[in-house]
Amino acid sequence: MSIIQTVDLTKKFGDFTANDAINLSVDKQEIKCIVGENGAGKTTLMNMLYGLLRPTSGKILIRDQETVINSPVQAIANGLGMVHQHFKLVHSLTVYENIMLGTEIKKSKNSVFVDNKKEIKVVRELIDKYKFDLNPLDKIEDISVGSRQRVEILKMLYRDVDILILDEPTAVLTPQEVDDLFVNLRELRGQGKTIIVITHKLREVMELSDSVTVIKQGKVVGNVLTKDTSEAELAQMMVGRDVMLTVKNEQNGPVSGATAYQAENICTINDYGKEVLHNISFSVKKGEILGIAGVEGNGQSELVKVLTGIMKTTKGKLTIDGKDITDKWPDELRRNGIGIIPEDRYAQGLCADMSLSDNCIAGYHSNPQVCSKAGFMKRKKINELRDKFVKNFDIRVGSIDGSVGQLSGGNAQKVIIAREFESNSKLLIACQPTRGVDIGSIEFIHKQILAYRDRGNAVILISSELSEIMSLSTRIAVMYKGEIVGEVNPKETNTTAIGLLMAGIKN
Amino acid sequence: MKIKSTFVHLANSVLPVLLAFLIGGIIIAMLGENPLDTYGILLSKSLLTSKGFLTTLHYASPLILTGLAIAITFKANIFNMGVEGQMLLGAFFSGIIGAYLPAGMNSVLAKIVCLTVGVLCGAISAMLPAVLKAYFKVNEMVVTLMLNYAIIKILEFLSTGVFRDITAGYVCTPTIQKNAMFSRLGSSRITAFFFIAVAAFAVMYFVMNKSKLGYETTAIGKNPEFAEATGMKVHKKILMLMAISGALSGLAGAGYMMSEKFKFTLDFSGNPGLGWDGMLIALLGAHSPVGILIAAVFYAALKTGADNINLYSMVPKEIVAVIQGLIILFLSIKFLSENSVTGPKIRSLFAKLTNRKAGRENK
Repeated sequence: MSIIQTVDLTKKFGDFTANDAINLSVDKQEIKCIVGENGAGKTTLMNMLYGLLRPTSGKILIRDQETVINSPVQAIANGLGMVHQHFKLVHSLTVYENIMLGTEIKKSKNSVFVDNKKEIKVVRELIDKYKFDLNPLDKIEDISVGSRQRVEILKMLYRDVDILILDEPTAVLTPQEVDDLFVNLRELRGQGKTIIVITHKLREVMELSDSVTVIKQGKVVGNVLTKDTSEAELAQMMVGRDVMLTVKNEQNGPVSGATAYQAENICTINDYGKEVLHNISFSVKKGEILGIAGVEGNGQSELVKVLTGIMKTTKGKLTIDGKDITDKWPDELRRNGIGIIPEDRYAQGLCADMSLSDNCIAGYHSNPQVCSKAGFMKRKKINELRDKFVKNFDIRVGSIDGSVGQLSGGNAQKVIIAREFESNSKLLIACQPTRGVDIGSIEFIHKQILAYRDRGNAVILISSELSEIMSLSTRIAVMYKGEIVGEVNPKETNTTAIGLLMAGIKN
Repeated sequence: MKIKSTFVHLANSVLPVLLAFLIGGIIIAMLGENPLDTYGILLSKSLLTSKGFLTTLHYASPLILTGLAIAITFKANIFNMGVEGQMLLGAFFSGIIGAYLPAGMNSVLAKIVCLTVGVLCGAISAMLPAVLKAYFKVNEMVVTLMLNYAIIKILEFLSTGVFRDITAGYVCTPTIQKNAMFSRLGSSRITAFFFIAVAAFAVMYFVMNKSKLGYETTAIGKNPEFAEATGMKVHKKILMLMAISGALSGLAGAGYMMSEKFKFTLDFSGNPGLGWDGMLIALLGAHSPVGILIAAVFYAALKTGADNINLYSMVPKEIVAVIQGLIILFLSIKFLSENSVTGPKIRSLFAKLTNRKAGRENK
């Protein structure tokens, strides 16, 4: 019997369809994992269930009753609670105060005083009931991230929800904390709760869930019972799309054999002090495209950040043509002939509020062609450059003097491509170069990358589109949990083999 | 697109002023005076007579500088609220140096020394919050704001103790030497300081609109992550911008000392103070150098005109303070924005009104 069900649930943001006719069904007392890449629409779906977003069309059924959820308060009233990826706790308050926040127990009905003793007692009973390891009197700022998450879960349980949605619950946890969380979640299931977990970590899906729904580009592409599937199959469902790429990849230029770029034993830690890259080593030759594949969240983003100078290494060495460029600033990397297509084009690649011409020189604005020795910008030259980019790269603009924010995703990406390709770079670091880009632009961008390679340059291509990696790369390195777990030749392998590597299974 | 955004900027600066004058007019009418006559005196005496206009320009000089000092940091989304303190520090020490200079010193050299001291004091005092912000991520708004009070108290201590001019009957520092004073040109109050302020304006105009630093400032203000990823070393730029802002503030203080006050008193900067006025002017001028120039002259005109109101009408000069307060109040409202809900509504309302008017005329 399904406790929560969606029927053709659709959410559109303008022209963009984030969720396309989603049919999801979760049984009572099961742990359901929803997997998909970043941007697949998982969070949109959950936000609709939790009342943070209104569906464009479709229905939500809770306990076979059609329910309209307009706010989190209504969701909780319907027994639906959510634990967000980023916790919403007051750090200077104690555990019990956070749990009771907004529903304080008063000394008497009309009293203004809070009955702290009773609150502590209630919270303590709650902790014992679900066998959570917490002290109600600890302050949030003093407890670990895992404990904070338990407080979030308790907050929901105190409000008597029986369906619990967890958004990327393991993203900030250490492996031990993940194990503890799973124990807790199984305990909750044992006590009759239904749990929905959003994640893209396949090992955890296999370990925790009863059933899995795979979402890709806003659509459900798979509904399987966990016992009937494997990590490799899930990985393939998540990334291996069947879009035929029309680009013909034939090596026209020479592979000189000379190493263009080398990474040796790169390690780094994230803001939480967790090691996210471990001894990454690879080299790229001139006239070669090195693809880096992997399920998202396995360290690719961090690797790109390290390679492009916005994250520091803790160990290791990066060299271009033998020159040490470890931990150099992005401007110095660009001066050393590295072109960068960043992962998030509106965060790191472009400034949506600045004009097209200003964006065309970003990163190269100290270049003597556009900036005089005295530090003044050569407006005329910059506009000529912009016009050249627009013409050569077929960038479709509404108003040539307008901001970049007016451009579509594909055209905005072309601005970055034009800028980084026309800069006489020797190495291109391309991260998700075609994400969110229309088919026509994808083909254009792929052709540009291949032509760039044929001119004897090196490319590092990081993408979660397996088909893109397969059709463009000379060699493919596969990342799993912050490490390179294998290297394959795309001509001698297939998606299944790569899928296995992406799931961390070495053969 | 461009015309539209200019229109929005203009409307957002002009509407508050008009509304402030409207309400000020009601108050004047309640006092039993004719608002139009009063405003006529206010503006004609300060803008339309040559002596009045030159005096207005004189008072506008420090305001142009403090306005620019605020604008350059606001453009990068950094908030230097310490312009007042930096200005006072520059004024105080240029005044002290000016007082203890040898009387026989070359007068151009003496002025350069005094101005340099002022500029350096302003710039250095702005470095403290800048370093804290750039390297330790300390909120610059809080630090700069609180430092104002620290600086004011220190200067109070210095001017009532160590540097007090004991021959004067009130708390002040010794008068600066003749060779460090800017002399008035003709019968108006204007001095060479005005031209220094205009020169600073010209430099800042080019820096903000045409230079690499200006380009990077805009990028940092609009999207710091983008700025960092494209290799603009954000923390260094913060130091640089704060130094420029502090230097401009110090210059404003030194110039005001050498062209108007000649000694440091506890009410040197007036009320609310040249630094705070600068903030209002930067807002009124929409953080663009040209806008600030216009706003500073307008603001100074109110100051000059206030004295004339007292002379030529029965309205107390405090009415100008009321109008200034109202301008600040209305400036905090964004009447029009390019993508707000009210913007298009107001615009369509205007369009309807003009259409109706046109229709009537056609009949």
